[in-house]
Amino acid sequence: MSIGRDDVLHVARLAELKVAEHEVAPLVKQLNGIVDFVAQLAAADVPVDTPEFTVGPVRASLRADVVAPEPLARSAERMAPDWQDGFYVVPRLGHQEIES
Amino acid sequence: MSAVRHISEAVRSGRTTARRATLHAEELLRRADAKGLNAALDWSPEYLGSEAGRIERAARSTRQALPLAGVPVAVKDNIATLDLPTTCASRILDGYISPFEATAVTRLRAAGAFVACKANMDEFAMGSSTEWSAFGRVQHPDFPDRVPGGSSGGSAALVAAGVTPVALGSETGGSVRQPASFCGVVGVKPTYGRVSRYGLVAFGSSLDCISVFGEKVDDAARVLSVISGHDPHDATSAELPPLSLATPRTDLKGLTIGLPEEFFPADLHPGVKAALDHAIEQAKALGATVRRVSLPHAKYSVPTYYIVNPAEAAANLARFDGVRYGKRDGGSQVDLPGLYRATRGTGFGPEVRRRILVGTYVLSAGYADQYYHKAMKMRTLITRDFTDAFSAGIDLLLTPTTPTPAFKAGDKTEDPVAMYLADIFVAGASLAGLPALSLPVGRSEGLPIGMQLIAPAFAEAKMLAAAAAFEAAIDGRREVR
Repeated sequence: MSIGRDDVLHVARLAELKVAEHEVAPLVKQLNGIVDFVAQLAAADVPVDTPEFTVGPVRASLRADVVAPEPLARSAERMAPDWQDGFYVVPRLGHQEIES
Repeated sequence: MSAVRHISEAVRSGRTTARRATLHAEELLRRADAKGLNAALDWSPEYLGSEAGRIERAARSTRQALPLAGVPVAVKDNIATLDLPTTCASRILDGYISPFEATAVTRLRAAGAFVACKANMDEFAMGSSTEWSAFGRVQHPDFPDRVPGGSSGGSAALVAAGVTPVALGSETGGSVRQPASFCGVVGVKPTYGRVSRYGLVAFGSSLDCISVFGEKVDDAARVLSVISGHDPHDATSAELPPLSLATPRTDLKGLTIGLPEEFFPADLHPGVKAALDHAIEQAKALGATVRRVSLPHAKYSVPTYYIVNPAEAAANLARFDGVRYGKRDGGSQVDLPGLYRATRGTGFGPEVRRRILVGTYVLSAGYADQYYHKAMKMRTLITRDFTDAFSAGIDLLLTPTTPTPAFKAGDKTEDPVAMYLADIFVAGASLAGLPALSLPVGRSEGLPIGMQLIAPAFAEAKMLAAAAAFEAAIDGRREVR
């Protein structure tokens, strides 16, 4: 077993994922199963000078650097749940203090 | 004649109308829903009616014949559509309406096709059985207690059940070829970059390809041709014109077909082996030269894939945080990290959570070299095996698509690694970015069996033309043992 309870909780924190207490033990078991499986790669002979894979064209194609209209099918206003004076009205995020 | 050709010719010639096509699609969707297939997520008679009007107006206003006039297409629910929700079969995107449309969908609609429905899938395309949808599992169309494969299981089941002749799915590591094999339809994955990813919800960005299902090779080929071609909205889209289809072959003379020994293990399912043996005999009878080859790193495809894929998934799915998209949990009583954790903790299902955790682990300090960077080097070696085989004169590789026919629902949900091994023959072409397809080549105790063809990069036309010869020579519904 290479992954313990603390590892699962640490990784969940890094991933911003809430894990309930009763989920921890099954996740320890499942993640160990997965990581033990992929660890067979450790035994594979990979020459040190092997480059890492890159996908797609060597040089990404770039568009002309010009301002174009947003490719939206509907206006921002039509998509907004609430809209006021040209701004989205959004629900409050958490309990940040508002300085007066 | 293929269904796509039949429908589009009938609509263009006036023998039928786009409105009749949408009404027929509506009737078939109702029947599929009543049967409990659970393959279609969102669709509506009102939307279908408006699409009929749009196609009829387009036909009147253009001098060019619409190549897919009146063709219904099921679209996997991770491909953005404007008028139907795009949920990725996840609670976290329940009811989400995209502000833009995927390029592939825009091109289909411009060609006269219409989106019949959004298709059910494994949540965020993570799974091989379509049991991980937040909206319930999809039934196999012929065997309700079995799975249709995944993650594009809804699209595959809709084509296999005759609801739509074609469907869009997406491939990250075999998610179209594997369900095509399980359901007895054609599934085609193009070369990475052949079809724009614009509007495909990102999962594994270096692997993701919008891909196509069809009743027949010709159905899938026609749709692939329409959706392919460069798109400035996707920087990884190849700067090539749309795929030009070759005349379907009636023989395989002049072609050298390679059989990679690693894909024919001694414990291969006997029905799969019998169907593949028959297909290989047919290849020889059609005039192909058949050669045994070796892809020595193929055995590392699945472990490599299940490092690269969760790593990319963990990064891509960071954007679903309860602020920018869809569902939000935690209310106003928690701080911002608390809101993120609560939303993601309850919004994502079990397989997505597992992949995010594994991906975060293999990318974390102290482990990235051991796992992620080693996997990316192995990916180079896996790709070299393919290019070496093609450089040595192999035109196409022929393998089974899956090690077994469709398994029973619930058989693998408790064991993630057993589920991952369903991808053992399809992960390699995805890691290498190569085009590949699955073609039905027989049935074992009624269960469909697929044959995979893998081609060099951007050789889809050659691959599809050869597949047509196999299709004409082999009865895909024939019982093999």
